[in-house]
Amino acid sequence: MKNRAVILAFASAALTSAAFAADGPIKIGIPVGLSGANSVVAPSVVQSAELAVAEINAAGGVLGRQLALEIADDASGAAGAQKAFDSLVFQKEVNAVITMETSAARNAGLPIISKGDIPYIYTSFYEGKSCNANLFVNAWVPEQQVPPIVDNFIKTQGAKKFFLIGSDYAFGRGMLEFAKAYIEKSGASVVGEEYLPMEGSDWTAIISNLKSSGADAVITSTAGGAPNVTLTKQLRGAGVTIPYGNLAVDEGTAKSMGADAAGIFISASYVTSIGSDANKAFLAAIEKKFGADLRTPNDLSVPEYEGIYLYKAAVEKAGSTDTAAVLAALAEVSFVGPRGTVSMSKQHHAPLTMYLGQVKADGSATVVDKFEGVDPGQQCPNL
Amino acid sequence: MTLLLDMVTTAAILFIVAAGLLAIFGVLKIINFAHGAWLTIGAYCAVATAGLGLNPWAALPIAFAVGAILGGITELVIVRPLYRRPLDAILATWGLGIVIGQLITLWFGRDVQFTSNLLSGTVDVFGVGYSLYRLFAVAAALVIGLAFTFLLEGTRLGLSAQAVIMNEVLARALGVDTARVRLATFIVGTGLAALAGVLLTPLTSVDPNMGVAWLIGSFMLVMVAGSSFSTLAIACIVFGGAQVLVSTFVSPILGGITVAVLCALVLRISPKGFARA
Repeated sequence: MKNRAVILAFASAALTSAAFAADGPIKIGIPVGLSGANSVVAPSVVQSAELAVAEINAAGGVLGRQLALEIADDASGAAGAQKAFDSLVFQKEVNAVITMETSAARNAGLPIISKGDIPYIYTSFYEGKSCNANLFVNAWVPEQQVPPIVDNFIKTQGAKKFFLIGSDYAFGRGMLEFAKAYIEKSGASVVGEEYLPMEGSDWTAIISNLKSSGADAVITSTAGGAPNVTLTKQLRGAGVTIPYGNLAVDEGTAKSMGADAAGIFISASYVTSIGSDANKAFLAAIEKKFGADLRTPNDLSVPEYEGIYLYKAAVEKAGSTDTAAVLAALAEVSFVGPRGTVSMSKQHHAPLTMYLGQVKADGSATVVDKFEGVDPGQQCPNL
Repeated sequence: MTLLLDMVTTAAILFIVAAGLLAIFGVLKIINFAHGAWLTIGAYCAVATAGLGLNPWAALPIAFAVGAILGGITELVIVRPLYRRPLDAILATWGLGIVIGQLITLWFGRDVQFTSNLLSGTVDVFGVGYSLYRLFAVAAALVIGLAFTFLLEGTRLGLSAQAVIMNEVLARALGVDTARVRLATFIVGTGLAALAGVLLTPLTSVDPNMGVAWLIGSFMLVMVAGSSFSTLAIACIVFGGAQVLVSTFVSPILGGITVAVLCALVLRISPKGFARA
């Protein structure tokens, strides 16, 4: 009994000191794949976050408090994510986690988010149907990304037989499962579906199967970075010239792949060539901040920028960083960013404008088609 | 037809990657677990060559030279005291591999790097369009194999190396400078590994950990092959072929472990692998 009283006394002391510390910065945790498969894209995500925080702080912060970033390397995988989330949530005691990660890392981090009970805005496109009371997603899911490519291949390129290639993990399989169902629903057929482990680098047999299958279009969904580059190099080396939709390439990666990337079709909620004022202002600001060190903003980094603004809007609407109030507000607030108006109003997911782009020889993407307000569908009917 | 070409070219690539490891194991009887790091060094030589604006082909001699020089230093400083302690040599070279990986990360960053292709496009082989570069890999493997055979059979150094392989004590008693033979072998082996790294760049992405994926496969192949380049060639054709067959007809995921599983089986049944003859 006495022990309990002591603990209570300590707890209330801790609570009071927490209340006094309320004028310190609001901490945003960013576990991100600085090493491993996501290392190509992670620096651009960090730059986006730094820009958002610098802009918000320069304009007076959130509820009078400054924002501070806590960045941790999750090594692009589950084991690294557990360490990164543990340290952010329980040691750094961040107020929210806003980040782009692999699905493996997200799944490993979610139980820690629930235990620490803080909001988690996931800013990476993913395979969909990840549901948690604390999780909000402001990037696309298969229901939004796959149809533009498949529709274009069937209607414009006259494709009838699709071949699907992926990395053997949640995102790769989830995307291609959805693509397969959608292709078959659209009246075309899937003549092959093959996977290689994430660390695999020899696509020889798969490419030969692709060539002998008589497919007239190929759609790939690999892990970002190394596997994507390896597959594209080997596909081009083998002389594959049928329409090639890549569900996991971004403009930055495409640019550095050079000639091998030319002609690839991508479907994204963000391409640099969006002509809106918000995007032009964003591009000018990020170029000014990072100059020669700028990593090309992309479909994985821009949602990070918008995610931080969405969190700001939710905290302001809730009037505090209290988790329950912020979570309630996150479903209602919206932000006009480079990708247009974004609101995570649909079962914790966001309706988005999608662009079908084709990569040019210099790595930039021309917008071939635009689809407005694409609905994420039934992601989490129980939330 | 494509299947046959896939099998031959896969074997050729495995041979290129494992050759440097075999050279060192054959003569020195130690496994250079930093082999993967030397592959990575070679690939980054290609990145640096491209960065300097030189012809991509210039990366081949540059990588061989860089790999050989670093290999020479490593032999003198790290490996030389460990010949009588092969287990410690494994630890030391494995550790060295980690250190090199981290140094590359510090220098170039963790990102995937890109290099220009040495050869691109396809050629028609018996009516099938096939990757020109993979065919080139077969030629490169043949050149490496023949050059090595010549080095062993046709030069004084090769003769000394063979003497060391057969009976080192006797060779030293007969006046062969075994320390120099070892140094030369290590230099050639690491130079070859770096060369293989350059030859891999058109097929894979270049990142600080790229060598690790190739290390285990080459290690298994060398264990089976023993100390001869001809048995290594046979091992590459048999296991590389099996890998392509499994990947094509069963599952690419199983294909990825074919080489390791088959090598383990062969060693279980015949501890000397293919080297018995």
